[in-house]
Amino acid sequence: MTQTAIVDDLCNRFGAGTFGRQETGDGIPTVWTTKERAREVLGYLKTEVERPYKMLYDLTAIDERVRRVRQGQSPSDFTVVYHLLSFERNEDLRLKIPLTEQVASLPTITDLWPAANWYEREVWDLFGITFVGHPHLRRILLPPTWQGHPLRKDHPARATEMGRFYLPEDRQETEEAALKFRPEEWGMKRSRETSDFMFLNMGPAHTGTHGILRLVLQLDEERIVDVVPDIGYHHRGAEKMSERQTWHTFIPYTDRIDYLGGVMNELPYVLAVEKLAGIVVPDRAKVIRVMMAEFFRLASHLVWYGTFAQDVGQLSPVFYMFTDRERIFHIVEAICGGRMHPEWFRIGGVAQDLPEGWDKLVREFLNYLPPRLAEYDDLVMRNAIFKARTQGIGRYSTAEAIDWGVTGPGLRATGFEWDFRKQRPYSGYDQFEFDVPIAMHGDCYDRAVVRVEEMRQSLRIIEQCLNHMPEGPYKAEHPLTTPPIKERTMHDIETLIAHFLSVSWGPVIPAGEAFVGIEATKGNNGYYLVSDGTPWPYRVRIRTPSFPHMQMVPLISRGLLLADLLAILGSVDFVLADVDR
Amino acid sequence: MGWWLSKPISGHQSEDRSEIGDGTLDEAVRRSVVTARLQDLIAWGRKNSLWPLNFGLSCCYIEMATSLTSQYDIARFGAEVVRGSPREADVIVIAGTVFMKMAPIIKRLYEQMMEPRWVISMGSCANSGGMYDIYSVVQGVDSFLPVDVYLPGCPPPPHTFMEGLLRLQEQVGRERRPLSWVMDDRPVSRPLMPSQRDRKRTERGQATDLLTIDRLPVTELKQEKWK
Repeated sequence: MTQTAIVDDLCNRFGAGTFGRQETGDGIPTVWTTKERAREVLGYLKTEVERPYKMLYDLTAIDERVRRVRQGQSPSDFTVVYHLLSFERNEDLRLKIPLTEQVASLPTITDLWPAANWYEREVWDLFGITFVGHPHLRRILLPPTWQGHPLRKDHPARATEMGRFYLPEDRQETEEAALKFRPEEWGMKRSRETSDFMFLNMGPAHTGTHGILRLVLQLDEERIVDVVPDIGYHHRGAEKMSERQTWHTFIPYTDRIDYLGGVMNELPYVLAVEKLAGIVVPDRAKVIRVMMAEFFRLASHLVWYGTFAQDVGQLSPVFYMFTDRERIFHIVEAICGGRMHPEWFRIGGVAQDLPEGWDKLVREFLNYLPPRLAEYDDLVMRNAIFKARTQGIGRYSTAEAIDWGVTGPGLRATGFEWDFRKQRPYSGYDQFEFDVPIAMHGDCYDRAVVRVEEMRQSLRIIEQCLNHMPEGPYKAEHPLTTPPIKERTMHDIETLIAHFLSVSWGPVIPAGEAFVGIEATKGNNGYYLVSDGTPWPYRVRIRTPSFPHMQMVPLISRGLLLADLLAILGSVDFVLADVDR
Repeated sequence: MGWWLSKPISGHQSEDRSEIGDGTLDEAVRRSVVTARLQDLIAWGRKNSLWPLNFGLSCCYIEMATSLTSQYDIARFGAEVVRGSPREADVIVIAGTVFMKMAPIIKRLYEQMMEPRWVISMGSCANSGGMYDIYSVVQGVDSFLPVDVYLPGCPPPPHTFMEGLLRLQEQVGRERRPLSWVMDDRPVSRPLMPSQRDRKRTERGQATDLLTIDRLPVTELKQEKWK
């Protein structure tokens, strides 16, 4: 609880009576204020305070109506949570606003942060909380015909509770009609003096969108006037799912958030659970986690590399890069037993120790990939057509990136050296030597430059893991480690019962809140966990990088040609499951 | 029709002339004339050129796309001609989770495909909702599309996808369809496809040596080959 300077600062500015303080398990200063003061306080934090909180990292809500353990918190039916990030302080701040069920509304902050637009729509969609003054407060993840707000505790979770799904002719027509785009609803004109605009529907079944994403384009001939992304086709309700899974059995769902990131997704989740539970993970487990996470960074970047080149017209690279990815999967399969979704990290460690002979596989791969990467530089990065299609396209500045919530390679490509592995080392990243590649122009090409260099850095990290893999246990000796250590059982009936309960129910994680964000493949992926002292989470908020990145696409596409949009989409490197969860 | 696979002859004339034949008229006829029933010939053609629609929903699609790439190379089975337009495609692979918001679009895509058309349901989500019994997910694509082949897995690896494709080929090759609905209004006759679980039960039951997690599986041999 060290970062309280800002709380004192706030109290000095607005009066101590304005704020309530809450202790959280992650040490992030958490303050409560009223919805009347929210805008004022947020505005102060963004622009006036010394070393300001420039990024709206996350905006979400909690349905508190059935939560039991709430010491030190303002009473509320719903709580809106603003999560701000200050790069200058390297600190976070959480601002909470209590709301009642009867008056579940508060003023919008879309004028303060453009990134708030989608976040507020999401909170409206999933919780039914109204943001007064929001320009387009309508559903974002669920179909426009949807009734109810699914993340409310009284909404059914299971599809099987909601009756059998039928799709007769009339429903098909209603649903399709509801998806029809009406420019007027978005304040768009159908024509200007000289020409009529063309509204082009791209997706949700389109090969250039890397998944089921729909973009409605307002075109003046081939030039993009505006873009309206329509997301939510990939909404799998992962956050609601967490509320009925145990802490342990939610791990497989995390793999499927950024489905190219594999075990990388599990890392922030297990780290946050361990923070709540107070588990210290042994070094071997940490290094194994880092190694596997970096393998998945490579695998994800290889898919991006190949498909990006394909997006701008190169057909061969994707074949080479998928072959390399297969080699990574060969190692992943040998170690974890699975390919894309190994579900291999555990609360307190990893599922099992490294198999005999793993080091040989890894070493062979470390010798194999660098010459291939050098070849790809000639094939792709130094290719004149590739450069012509990507340089100067889709540019944004560091300030814009921060304003829109961009993290990861997209932020580093604007010349801002910020990598959470360096700035807030987790899982022992501070013990590794690696560089943080940056580029200066913030365009499609530079985002590629950063990722390609990152792949080399990942290889460096993996090599260090290989050479210095610590000996020791792969799981923490802690009562909440799941599954528990087998040696602890079979002594007497008590140990047997304890073991049986933590295997069948799973661990009971102490009540509290904790957040962990990591440098994932696409940017900062964070898990904000709320425990009510039960064997399952009360609420899991998954802050994914692709969501804000997707929101920014219109800004960087306006005025460009239709073909440039594909280069932009490729360079942003999103995964639809990471956008919609 | 007689046919054979000839080996490449390097430099010298091969001693074994059986591949080249004996040069008689009889053999020349056997080499260049084929007799078949038209429906068999069409089924054979359909079977070996199943063109998939370029359409994916989620994680499974990545594995489906992987089967197109070099290591798996689905072109061996004539299914690499991925079509962007449903009008040109023969088979739609429901590769991923079927979302309620997406269901009307999937149905529309299917309706845009020309007969004959087939559906592969790839992965647990498309089969039954899988691990996503959640408000936004349809519990199995077969609630609004007729599925021909179901593939297990989350996601099924590329070789499972290819196995599924081969099963579909088997079905397509044995299907009997009227040549034209104008001339012939008989319904399509589909072969009964037994479940692979039943078909492979005996073989699988004989496995006695199961891998442990502590040492690398036999694929290490494959690793040697890479060098």
